[in-house]
Amino acid sequence: MNFIPHTKEHISKMLSVVGCSTLDELVSEFIPRLSELNLDNPMSEMELVSYMTSLSEKNSPMKYFVGGGSYDHYIPAVINHLVSRGEFLTSYTPYQPEASQGVLQVLYEFQSFICLLTGMDVSNASLYDGASAVAEAALLSSAYTKRKGVFVDDGLNPAYLKVLKTYCDGTELCITNTIDENTACVISQTPDFYGNIKNPHGLIEKAHAHHALFINCISDPTSLAILKTPGEFGADVVVGEGQAFGIPTSFGGPYLGFIAVKQFLTKKLPGRIVGMTTDDQGNEGFVLTLQAREQFIRRERATSNITTNQTLLALTATIYLALLGRSGLQNVARASYHRAHLLQEKLSKIGFEAINTSPFYNEFLVKSPKPSEEIIANLMEYNIFGGIDVGDNRLLVCCTEKNLLQDINSYVSVVSK
Amino acid sequence: MAERKFTKEHEWIQKSDQIIIVGITEFAQDQLGDIVSIELPQVGSSFKQNDVMTIIDSVKASSDIYCPVDGEIIETNENLLEHPELINKSPYKEGWIVKIKPNNPEQIDSLLSKEQYDELVGQGKE
Amino acid sequence: MKLIFDYNQSNTKHTPDEEKDVDLPEELKRSSLLLPDVNEVQVIRHYTELSKKNYGIDTNFYPLGSCTMKYNPRVNEDLAKLPGFSNLHPHMPASHAQGALQVIWELEGDLKEITGMDAFSLQPAAGSQCELLGVMIAKKYFAEKNENRTKIIIPDSAHGTNPATASMCKFQTVTILSDDRGNMDLDEFKKAIGPDVALVMITNPNTLGLYEENLSEIKDLAHEKGALMYCDGANMNALLGISKPADQGFDMIHLNLHKTFSTPHGGGGPGGGALGVKSFLEDYLPVPRIKKENAQFVFDSNQEKSVGKLHSFYGNFGIIVRALSYIRSWGSDIHKISQIAVLNANYLFTLLKEDFDVPYDRRCAHEFVISAKNFGEKSTANIAKRITDYGFHAPTIYFPLIVKEALMIEPTETESKETLDEFANVLKTIIKELKEDPEVVKNAPHTIPGRLDEVKAARQLNLRWVPHES
Repeated sequence: MNFIPHTKEHISKMLSVVGCSTLDELVSEFIPRLSELNLDNPMSEMELVSYMTSLSEKNSPMKYFVGGGSYDHYIPAVINHLVSRGEFLTSYTPYQPEASQGVLQVLYEFQSFICLLTGMDVSNASLYDGASAVAEAALLSSAYTKRKGVFVDDGLNPAYLKVLKTYCDGTELCITNTIDENTACVISQTPDFYGNIKNPHGLIEKAHAHHALFINCISDPTSLAILKTPGEFGADVVVGEGQAFGIPTSFGGPYLGFIAVKQFLTKKLPGRIVGMTTDDQGNEGFVLTLQAREQFIRRERATSNITTNQTLLALTATIYLALLGRSGLQNVARASYHRAHLLQEKLSKIGFEAINTSPFYNEFLVKSPKPSEEIIANLMEYNIFGGIDVGDNRLLVCCTEKNLLQDINSYVSVVSK
Repeated sequence: MAERKFTKEHEWIQKSDQIIIVGITEFAQDQLGDIVSIELPQVGSSFKQNDVMTIIDSVKASSDIYCPVDGEIIETNENLLEHPELINKSPYKEGWIVKIKPNNPEQIDSLLSKEQYDELVGQGKE
Repeated sequence: MKLIFDYNQSNTKHTPDEEKDVDLPEELKRSSLLLPDVNEVQVIRHYTELSKKNYGIDTNFYPLGSCTMKYNPRVNEDLAKLPGFSNLHPHMPASHAQGALQVIWELEGDLKEITGMDAFSLQPAAGSQCELLGVMIAKKYFAEKNENRTKIIIPDSAHGTNPATASMCKFQTVTILSDDRGNMDLDEFKKAIGPDVALVMITNPNTLGLYEENLSEIKDLAHEKGALMYCDGANMNALLGISKPADQGFDMIHLNLHKTFSTPHGGGGPGGGALGVKSFLEDYLPVPRIKKENAQFVFDSNQEKSVGKLHSFYGNFGIIVRALSYIRSWGSDIHKISQIAVLNANYLFTLLKEDFDVPYDRRCAHEFVISAKNFGEKSTANIAKRITDYGFHAPTIYFPLIVKEALMIEPTETESKETLDEFANVLKTIIKELKEDPEVVKNAPHTIPGRLDEVKAARQLNLRWVPHES
C-alpha cells in the first residue's frame, strides 16, 4: 500500500529545486542518523486485512448482560453511514469556522442535547471519557472554590475513582471523607456503580451549606430519558460517559465524556465550546468560542491542559439522539429498565439474593448461591457474558433493550442447572 | 480627586480618600483587543505589589493584570462580569476594575506620572 | 438555517416498542423530555447537508503545521469495525480477548522499535493526556528519590499544552528563549538547568520545524543535573526510520496516534496517545499493563509504583487498531514517510521563500514557518481567510508565538507535487492581491457566512438551543 503519490520524476525534480541529489542527503543534512530500525516487511492491503481479521477472530464478542461503564445498546445502521462520511471523518478541529460549519453545528446540537437531557444550562463539546470528565470536574471545582478537598460519595464507578485519584495525586488535590470548609466538591454517581438510583437532595444541601460544588456523575445516560434531571435536583456540574449513545463497546475506547454546568460556571468549563454568532451581513454561523480559557492561549495559567475532544463520537451521539428522539429514547430506557427487573425477579426465584437498597435502572446486584466465577464460566460456555464479579460472590448484572425475553430465559435456564 | 498615576504594566491608579481605584489604560485595552471576560479577585484578599491580581481574556489572548501596590481589595466592579466591553469603551471611568486599601501609600509616589507613562508607550511598540 | 430541534416528525422505529411505564417513586421520575422526534429520512438529509459544509482531508490539502494532516487510510476504518474488535466488551476477561490484548501489545512493541524506548502505555486518550502522565511520572519518580524538584524547562516555541500541564501538576515553568537559528539558546539553558529542575520538555524537531541543534549538549547537561528529558513527539513524522528519540537522549516521549500514525482527526477527536519511557521509569506506567506470559496475553495490575489510571479502561482501543494497521502496512519502508514529508516541506519552503519573510533560513524538517509581517499587521489572518476562497484550508497561524504574523505549514507525505505547486501559486496570487486589490483580501472569505464575529460569540453567549415554553 502506498499513499505517497510521488513518482521518481517528481522526487528528482523536487530534489533539484531544494538543492540535494538524494533523499538520504536531504535528511542527513540535519537529522543525524542513529540506530537501525527493525520492522517486518510492509504488507499489502490484502495481507493486512487477513492479518488483522485473524487477530479480531481471537476475541469472542457474545451476548452481554454486563455494564459497569460500558453499555451494549442497539446502534441504528444510519449512524455508521453518516459518521464515515469523509467530510466529517477526515476533518480537522474547527479553528477556521468558514471551513467547518458542518462540524460546528453538530457540536452545537450535541451541547444542546446534553443540556436538555441533564437539565443544565451549558455544556462543552465533549471530553475524553467519563472517568476523565469526573477528574476535570474536580479540577474545575478547585479552581472555582480555591479549595483542595474532594469528597466522593459511595458507589462511584471504581475505575472512575482510580482515575480521579490519579489526577488528584498529580495536581495536589485531596480525596477526603468529610464535607467541610475545605471541600471544593462533592461527587456522586446516580444510578451508581451497583445500579442504585439515588435522590441526591440531602447531599446537595450539605455541599451547598459548605459552599462546595455538587457534581453528579452518570455512566449510562439513557437513564436520563426517565429519571428526574440532576439540574432539577440542584446539581452544579453534571459529568458522565456518553458511550451508550450509539457508540460500540469497542473494548473500552474511544468513548465520549461530557460535562454540563449551571450558568455561573460557564467560563470555568474546560475544553472546546461552540457558540452561535453572525457575520456582518447578519448570516448565522458557528465558531469555537471562549477560547481564551484553553491551554493554547492561557498556557501555564490554564486550569486544564485538555486539547483534543471526541468530536466524531459527539457526532455519533448527536445522530443517535436525533434518530431515536424523545419517543425512541424513552423506549430504550423503559425496555432496559423492564428487562433488568424481569431478570432480577427470575434470578431471585432460583436462589440469587437481590441486594440493591434502592430502586435501580438497568443494572442490579445479586448474591449468587454458587461461586460467582463458576456462574460466569458456565454462562460463557453458552456465549453469554453474565455479569461482573464484584467480590464476595456478588454479580453486577445489566440489561439493555438488546436483551430479549428469550435471552433472559436462556440465562436463567443455564444458571439454574 | 488626585491625579492619575501609572505602572509599566499599563495599569492606572487614582487616589480617592484613603483608597485607590485601579484600571487599565487606553493603550492596554487597545493592545488587548475586544475583551470578553475578566476574573475579579475576591473582596478582602490581599496582594503585594506586582502580584497577579486578575486575568483579562480577549478573543485570542489572555493577560495578567498586576497589583500596583501592596494592599487589600475592598471593592470590585461587578458590572464587568456581564459587560467586560466597558473596559474597552471607557477604561478610565466605567471600566474601573478594583478599589484597594493600600498598606504603604508611599508606593504610589514612586509610580509613573502621566508624562512618564505617555513617553513609555510612545516609545515602545511591541 | 435549521437545527435538528426545528423538526417535529414521526420517528422511525429502531427497537421493538416498550409501552409500559417504569415503576419508580415520583420524586425520582422525569416530568418532561423536550427532545425532538425526527424521521430517519430527515436525519440523513440534515447531517448529509451539514457534511457538505465541511472541509476534510478527503476534500483537499490541509497545510496545518504540527497537525500532520495526512491521508487517513480507509482500510483501517474497516478493520477497526470488525465485530471482533468493535463489539468486544471491555470487561471481557483476558481469556476471551486475546486478539485485542495482542493488538495493544503489538503496537506497544512497534512503537518501542520506532522510538527506541523500552516500554509504552497506550492508555492516554490524547497527546496532552500523555504529557500529564509524563509529568506525573516525573513527580513521583523524584518524590521517591526525596529530591525536591519544582521546575520544568520548556522553549518559548513550546505547544501551549506543555506549560499548561506543568501548571496543573504545580510545577513552575521556566521558559528558555530561542536563539537566532531557532534552537533553544544554550547559554540561557545553562543558566536555568539545575538540581531543582524535574523535566526538560522539548519538541524535536521543534514547532519552527527545525531540528534542535544543541540537543546533545542539552541532554548531557540535563542528565548531569539529574533532570529527565521529555520529548513532545508531535513532530515524529520527520523522524520515522531516520532517528530514534531514545538515541537522541530522551527518557520519555509521547506520540500522537492521530498525527504521525494516520488515525482520523474526526473534526477534533478522538485522538490517541502513546507514552514511551526508558526502563527505569517503566514501573510508573498506568495499570493495567499488558504482558505476555507463556504465549498468553494477560492484564497486569500488580504495579506498586504505578501512578494509577488515566482512562476508564485501556485507552482508545479503536484508535490503537488503526495505528497498528498503519504501521504494519508500512513496515520496514516506514522511513519513506519521513523522507517524503521532509522533501515536501523543503520544496514548498523553497517556493515560498522569495515572497515571505523567513525568520530562520535553515533546512527545515517536515514543516516550516514563514512570516507575513512585511505585508502589515493582521495580514496573516487576512491571508488565511483568503486562502479559503481558493478552495484550500488555511495553515496554522500566529503560532509559534515567537514569530510575528506566523504561518506554519506542514505538507505531509501524502500531498503530491501538483498540489504543492497549486498551493504555492495561490499564496503568490494572494500576495499580489495584497498589493493590487487589498480589499478583496481584507474582506475574505467571500463565503456565506463570511467572516464570523468572534467577539459577539464570546460576549453574547449562545451555546445551546433553548426550547420555547409552549
